[in-house]
Amino acid sequence: MSDVSAPLGVPVARATSGLVATGRMARRRIVNTVLWGIAGLMTALVAIPVAWVLIGVVRKGVAGWHWSVLATTTTSANGGGLANAIVGTTVIVVGVVVIAGIVGVAGGIYLAEFSGAKEGSIVRGASEVLAGVPSIVLGYVGYVALVYHFHWGFSLLAAWIVLSVLCVPYIVKTTEVALRNVPTAYRDGSEALGMPTGYALRRVVLRPALPGIATGLIVAVAIALGETAPLLYTASWSDKFPTAQLTHANVPFLTYPVWTFYNLPAASAHRLAAEAALILIVMVVMLIILSRIVVARTQRHSENSGVR
Amino acid sequence: MVNAMHELTEPDTARTPGHNLHLQVPAPVAGSAAAPKPAPAPESGTAMSAHDVSLSFGDKTVLSGVDLEFPAGTITALVGPTGCGKTTFLRSLNRMNDRVPGFRRTGTFTLFGDDLYAPSADPLVVRRRVGMLFQRPNPFPLSIHENVVAGVKAHRLAPRNKLRDITETRLREVGLWDAVADRLGSSPFRLSGGQQQLLCLARALAVEPDVLLLDEPTSSLDPVSTEAVEHLLRTLSPGITIVIVTHNLAQARRLSDRTAFFFEGRLAEAGETEQVFEQPASEATRQYVTGRFG
Repeated sequence: MSDVSAPLGVPVARATSGLVATGRMARRRIVNTVLWGIAGLMTALVAIPVAWVLIGVVRKGVAGWHWSVLATTTTSANGGGLANAIVGTTVIVVGVVVIAGIVGVAGGIYLAEFSGAKEGSIVRGASEVLAGVPSIVLGYVGYVALVYHFHWGFSLLAAWIVLSVLCVPYIVKTTEVALRNVPTAYRDGSEALGMPTGYALRRVVLRPALPGIATGLIVAVAIALGETAPLLYTASWSDKFPTAQLTHANVPFLTYPVWTFYNLPAASAHRLAAEAALILIVMVVMLIILSRIVVARTQRHSENSGVR
Repeated sequence: MVNAMHELTEPDTARTPGHNLHLQVPAPVAGSAAAPKPAPAPESGTAMSAHDVSLSFGDKTVLSGVDLEFPAGTITALVGPTGCGKTTFLRSLNRMNDRVPGFRRTGTFTLFGDDLYAPSADPLVVRRRVGMLFQRPNPFPLSIHENVVAGVKAHRLAPRNKLRDITETRLREVGLWDAVADRLGSSPFRLSGGQQQLLCLARALAVEPDVLLLDEPTSSLDPVSTEAVEHLLRTLSPGITIVIVTHNLAQARRLSDRTAFFFEGRLAEAGETEQVFEQPASEATRQYVTGRFG
């Protein structure tokens, strides 16, 4: 400061240097550039494998695509179509969404709105442990307990239960987080009007949490769609359409051909594996689109759609 | 004081024949929606009171030894520096602190003579009769119409086919009708902050409270909106007893009949607004109202 002061000791505003960063500020710019580069590299590390898998699956699936795959069942020679597996997977996933959805959303609501600190931490801990159990272990437990011990045989019910157990922790977590993110102003407002807790939850608090809950359910569906190991142990496989029987009837599912047929010698089996993978991908994409529509509809009156 | 217009636990049979215990069901709003609300019978005596009240969270005592009366139909301003406990006190007047972890209360609150914290007093009924407006407008993520009738529906105060009329009556009452009449079904978050606060006021009024608590209701609003809210509060009095927490001393002075000054966890002074501002009894009050601190 002193060296730029005017003769009488009064500081006068003047340019002390140009606009080019020097010293510490120059280092900061280099660090900034390097970190951006690392971030871009990491993004590529995530995006490229995804794109690779998608392109590979679509190319292989489309190459041998024949529409009859949607209409005919698998033959005993591992040819034919996948209609049986498509129906089987749909039935399994719908059941899992209902069972795991009810249990998981109820659990999340309990943790976010009703549980005390102690009960909450017990339930939360249990749920986290469950999330960490490998799916093949759950499948094996399901096989021993349900298929073997309960004498249900390979069955839809066993598949539903094991896959639901697998999905519940995700749904609990996402539901709880979604509810905790609802602004306290909504709770205060409904409490000040004398609304009972459950009523306020249904009418006011749940609505802004719905996108989060829906996202959790979709992640769960994606898990259920993609799981193979628990289903090998509980649903087994069948060339025929699933029946209305809950027990003692094998259920076909789409991940089975992807997993098993790929290792078979026949070209028709390879083709079915590629087509099953393509169908799974299309189903997932359709689910995501559906969820976006649902979210958009529930958010018509949300704060985000306004100016605030 | 003994003039208990309606009990906290017993239905007022004159007003609400044949309804269940803890819900008070006022007569449905009269047919013509545009008609002004019939002026409530002037209530005399004390609407709410606090006797030797102490409030604390865990080990920390927020307020102690508060004795204060809110005469029916008056506007009382609660003023004092930040952290003096006035908002905690306000929230205790409709039991909004009940579920705050560690909250403890000694002493008694009454609403028209009934013990607010009696075991038989239902907090939901208390809050229906003692409404609240917050510092920041907090409309629900519902349509404008659904916002106004949210409390009415929760307490089943009116049949479904009367809900539109209630919305119109209340929105006219707060002066919002002309601005939103053509978009009752749309989101409240496109309204301005002042309009949102008026909407919240309409929502609070729709359940026909006896007392309205306001926690710095205009601190996030512009001067024009502030004037609109203040004007409205004046028209509501003396039909409704109003308690307002404010940091704006000018507002307290022009709006309130009575002023209570909270200071360092105690009620330092309470009385007619004119007197508290012109001839304060305590030195702390004098310094605060003349702008020496706070």
